[in-house]
Order: sequence, then C-alpha cells, then structure tokens
Amino acid sequence: MSQSQPSAPSHPVGDAGSPAARGWWHGRSGLFLAAFMAAFSTYLLVGILTMAVPDGADAPGPQFVPLIITVAGYILAVLLAVHYIRTPEPAVTPTFTAEDDATEEERRAAEAAATVQYRTFSDWYAVGWSVAGFLAFALFLNVLGWILGAALLFWCVAHGIGSRRHLFVASLGLLLSSFIYLAFDVGLGLSLPSGLLGGVF
Amino acid sequence: MESIMNLMEGFGLALSPMNLLWVVVGCLLGTAVGVLPGLGSSMAVALLLPMTFALDPTGAFIMFAGVYFGGLFGDSTMAILMNTPGQASAIASTFEGHRMAKAGRAPQALATAAIGAFIGGMIGSIVVVFLAPALADFSANFGPQEFFALALFAFVATSSVVADSILKGLCSLIIGLGIAVVGIDQTSGAERFSFGVPQLFDGISLVTVTVAILALGEVFHIASRVRRDPTNRVIQAKGRPFLSGREFREALPAWLRGTGIGLPFGVIPAGGADVPTFVAYGLERQLDRRRKKPQFGKGAIRGLAAPEAAGNATTGTAMGALLSLGLPISATAAIMLAAFEQYGLQPGPLMFDRSPDLVWALLASFFIAMVVLLILNLPFAPLWAKLLAIPRPYLYAGITVFCGMGVYATSGSTFDLLMLLGIGLLGFALRRFGVPLAPLMIGMVLGPLFETSMRDALASSNQSYGVFVDGPIPVAIYALLALSLAISIVGRVRSKARKDT
Repeated sequence: MSQSQPSAPSHPVGDAGSPAARGWWHGRSGLFLAAFMAAFSTYLLVGILTMAVPDGADAPGPQFVPLIITVAGYILAVLLAVHYIRTPEPAVTPTFTAEDDATEEERRAAEAAATVQYRTFSDWYAVGWSVAGFLAFALFLNVLGWILGAALLFWCVAHGIGSRRHLFVASLGLLLSSFIYLAFDVGLGLSLPSGLLGGVF
Repeated sequence: MESIMNLMEGFGLALSPMNLLWVVVGCLLGTAVGVLPGLGSSMAVALLLPMTFALDPTGAFIMFAGVYFGGLFGDSTMAILMNTPGQASAIASTFEGHRMAKAGRAPQALATAAIGAFIGGMIGSIVVVFLAPALADFSANFGPQEFFALALFAFVATSSVVADSILKGLCSLIIGLGIAVVGIDQTSGAERFSFGVPQLFDGISLVTVTVAILALGEVFHIASRVRRDPTNRVIQAKGRPFLSGREFREALPAWLRGTGIGLPFGVIPAGGADVPTFVAYGLERQLDRRRKKPQFGKGAIRGLAAPEAAGNATTGTAMGALLSLGLPISATAAIMLAAFEQYGLQPGPLMFDRSPDLVWALLASFFIAMVVLLILNLPFAPLWAKLLAIPRPYLYAGITVFCGMGVYATSGSTFDLLMLLGIGLLGFALRRFGVPLAPLMIGMVLGPLFETSMRDALASSNQSYGVFVDGPIPVAIYALLALSLAISIVGRVRSKARKDT
C-alpha cells in the first residue's frame, strides 16, 4: 500500500479530504444498490399483484417463485441500506498496485497523482460520452446504417476515454465498422442495416 | 474402453479442417483477450455468444472451448509480466510469478505457467473423458428434487461461499433470478412481468443480459477509471523460454499436486478456478516452509507451477460437469450453458445419448486446444505482450462496437439495444460497488431449472415439502452444502480474528 510508505504523509490532504467537508452522501453512494434492489422488488411485486393466472394452473402457481424473490429482494435492500449508512466507504485513494518494483521517480509521480482530489470516484465525463454514444447508436442505427452508426459509437467511446486525435479516430472507426460489415454481413450472413449508405453498396 | 472409441470418433470430427480452424481461432482470441488488460475469458465468450448463430453448434462449442482455455493461458502471461491478473483465477499466479519475472527469470516463469496449464488441462480432460459418461449415467434418473438441490447448491455456493460479501453475492443472485422469471410462464402460460410489452413475452434474452453485464458494463467500468488509475509496467521477457532439467524436476511435483487439487473443484459449484488456485498456492507455501532453503518470496517456481496447473485442471473438469450434469460452476460455464440452450440442446444426462457427435468432438477439441495453446504460448508469450501497444481508447471503443453488433445481429431490434444499454449500466453499477457478477449469470441461467423442478416436485407430491429431502442424493447434496458453508464461515471468522490482533 502506498499510503504506508514513509514519504506518503508528506503530501498533506487538505480539508477537502475529510469526510465532514464532503457531506453526508460521500462514501454512501452504495445506497444506490439498496434503492435499485427496492425498485426491482417493487417491479416484481406489482407484476405479481396484477398477474392474470389462467384457470386450472397447478399449485404452486406462476406467482410462487417470484414472490420468494421479491421478499428476498426487499430484505436485501434493507440490509444494504443499513450497511452503507453505518459504514460508508472510505475515500479511495488510487493505489499504485506494483509499488514494490517502481523506481523512486515513478513512486513520486504516483503519490502526486494520489493526492489529486476528484469530486467523484467515477470519471463521469468518460462514462457520459460512452453512454451517450451508445444511446445515439441504438436510436439512429436504422437511419444511419451500420457503417456510420458504429463509427459514431467508436468515436464517442474513444473520445470519452481520452483520445484527442479526432480525425484519425473517425477514420479508424469507419475502417472498423466497414470491416465488420464486410466480414459479418457479407461474409457470415448476419443482418446489419445498410441505412443511408444503402444505395452505395 | 467405449470412451476411447468414442473419443477417437470425436477426434475424427474435431480434426476436420473447418473445426481445426475454429480451435485455432478460439485459442488465438482467448489468448489475446486474456493478455489485454481488464478483459478475461468470460468477456470473450460473452462477445462471441451472438456470433455463434452464424456457425454450426459443433464449430461454435469447439471455438468456445479454445477461448475458455486460451483466456487462462493469456491471463497468466499478464499476471507474470505485468502483475495484472485478468481474472480472479490468475491472482495466485502473480505472487511468485511476478517475482520470478522481476528477478530476470521471466521466460522461465512463462514456460512454467504454460507447461503447468498444459499438464493441468490435459489431465483434467482425460478425467472428463472417463468420468463424464459415468456421471451422466448416474444422473440419468435424477428427478425434480435432485435438480432442485443441485440448482440451490450452485446458487448458495457461488453467492455465499465464494463471494467476498455474502450480502452483495445474494443481491447479484436475486437480480439474476428476477431477470429469469420475466416472460410467459412455461408451466401455466401466465404472462409474467411483461406489462403488455410484446418484446418481453419471450423473456429478457440471455444474449442481451450476458453481453450487457460481462462486456458493456465492463467497458463502462473501465472508462470510469482508466484515466485515474496508474498502470503497471510490463517486464520484457528476454531469452529462450525453456526450462532447464533442474527447473523442470523442481516444478514437476508442484504441477502434479496442483492438478490433483484442481480436479475435484470442477465438479463442485464453488465459483470456478479461483478457490483451487489459492488452495494450491497455499499448499506449496506450507511445503516450502519445511524445506532447508525456503524459496517463497524470492520467485519460487513451485509457487507459480501449482496454481497454474490447478486452474486449468478445474476448468477441464468443470466442462465435464457442464456436459454431464448441466451444472455451470462459473460465469463462463454459465454462458456456455446458455449457448447450448440457444441451439436447443440441453446439457445433462441425455446429452451423451442424444448428441454424441457434438459431445465427443468437443471433448476431443479440448486436447487439440491444449496442444495449440502450448505452441502459441510457450515460444510466443513475449510476442503476445506486444498487444498492450494498442492504445486503450481504441481497444475499448472497438469492444463497445462489438457489443452493439452482437446484440443487433441476434435480435435486429432497437428495443434490445436499449435494453443492452440499461442492463449494461446496471452491470457498471454492480462493478462499481464490488458486487460479484457470477451469481447473477448463474441465477439467470439456472433460474428456470430451479423454478420448474421446484414446482414439479411440489405438484407431484401434493404440496408436501418433505419431497425435497426424499432420497439419498438430495440429502447428500444439502449435507455437502452445509459443510462448505460451515467451512467458509469458520474461515471468515478466523481471518477477521487475525486482522484484529
């Protein structure tokens, strides 16, 4: 662990690092899991209550197993909520996983990186671009066609993860999507939409 | 003897040029994803699942077997050179393997791992050839209560015994079971949880969930961290990747002991190859302490040899359990079970009678895959490490495109793409909060078996719950389950006590 190194405390972590300054929700984002379990169980519960069971179905009927799952889901949601309220996750400092074979220089660089305070654990810029790219791909695939749609998806994800060579990435994406189209649609016979470019091929 | 005859016929099929090609393609793909950071064999199999619709079943499964074993070989290459295990089953190999590489013995470490994986996989496959038909005969008269007990065992073992947090393991399992009950009920014909959406009448597609949870969610997870986590350095392996006679003799007992430990774990639904690799590593360390000159901590060849052999031996027998009982023990095996179902095949007792060609060609392809992988990995392991030169943005962008392609090619609908995105975001959230994904996959794949066997058993016994403990086999399975739970609880309490002092 890099924080146990003697040189680690020389990078003082400011007030921003203390839990009190970060608000009650910090380290408790796991409550999302509890909320999801509760919502999923509610979906199942509504489904069970509104289910039309055909006459003459053998007991135990089609509601039996879903009911077990629903009850277990609610119990787990409560337990998860209790867990995250009582023990919030500690602020995660990036660890330099191979610290034992790092040179001094690399160790210093890693420790400097570890003191950078991000407001959130996840890099929402990267996730946002990836998700938005996929959403656009899903919605416009039939209009754009496979080659343009997949190239757009490729560009969005690569941009989100940090590539800044826009034109190069765009051409790389077109190359990949055209290659997939040729190999899987023309070659293996999977059906991919041709869309806008349909007239060209 | 009959097994050998069948196996020879299987070799005849597997050695046809087309099937041989699929073995090689599978081995290449498996090794490649194993080597690439953040990708494991379960992701490779998930991405390939949709593409199998363009192949015949025999070719598809032969390729899957190559990917499954190839992933294990590739994972250990990265564990040794970069201290980055691709899957949990390669963690035990990083301890001594990476130390060997740092001490300048990277080629020897790679060779030890490749030969160990070869020996473990070969012996595992031989055991399967002789044991699987017997196991299938034994399970041929299993009734609903036996299958119910088996499914319950798989659920509890993967979500509680293996998972770090029982609470999170159970959450994952419940989500998987919940996904499995959506769609029209097969027994009664009742429409369940579809709320009138026609796309949900057939349930949520296994392909969509698999790609979403194991591939797209994984990409989102990597995207969320890739610019923040520092990366490890790769150690260059220089020199001839061969072991000296002395090194070979040193490693041989560890390879064999590791294989011995790994074999039984393939039949126990305890989450795949993670547990046996650690058990094998632990045993070698215990033995090493009694030697005059302990080697552990300085790059002990035995500390790498044993877990490698154990991991592949487990994977080999796990395929046997999958074919003869229909019981998946890991996420990758669960995906293969889903693939069998896509083709309308039901792994289990009847499989050896109904599709002997497929089964024996698949078993024969294990042996071919081992030889191909040894050739691919023993001399060329340092070349595989060159794959790391692919810039990460392009790598993960490409994987996302493949996710979209696979699901669109199987369903052809925007609805399924949106479903893929939604479940992919769920998979990302699960990864973010450290929820294991294997229980979800196993819950989803075995959920229907669990439900129908439970209802059949209750219906045939007039709602008497005593039917579940009727007969020696279910009772034996529950006893084994109770035993493994007890062992895992004792282990947890002990490790907590050790932390406190």
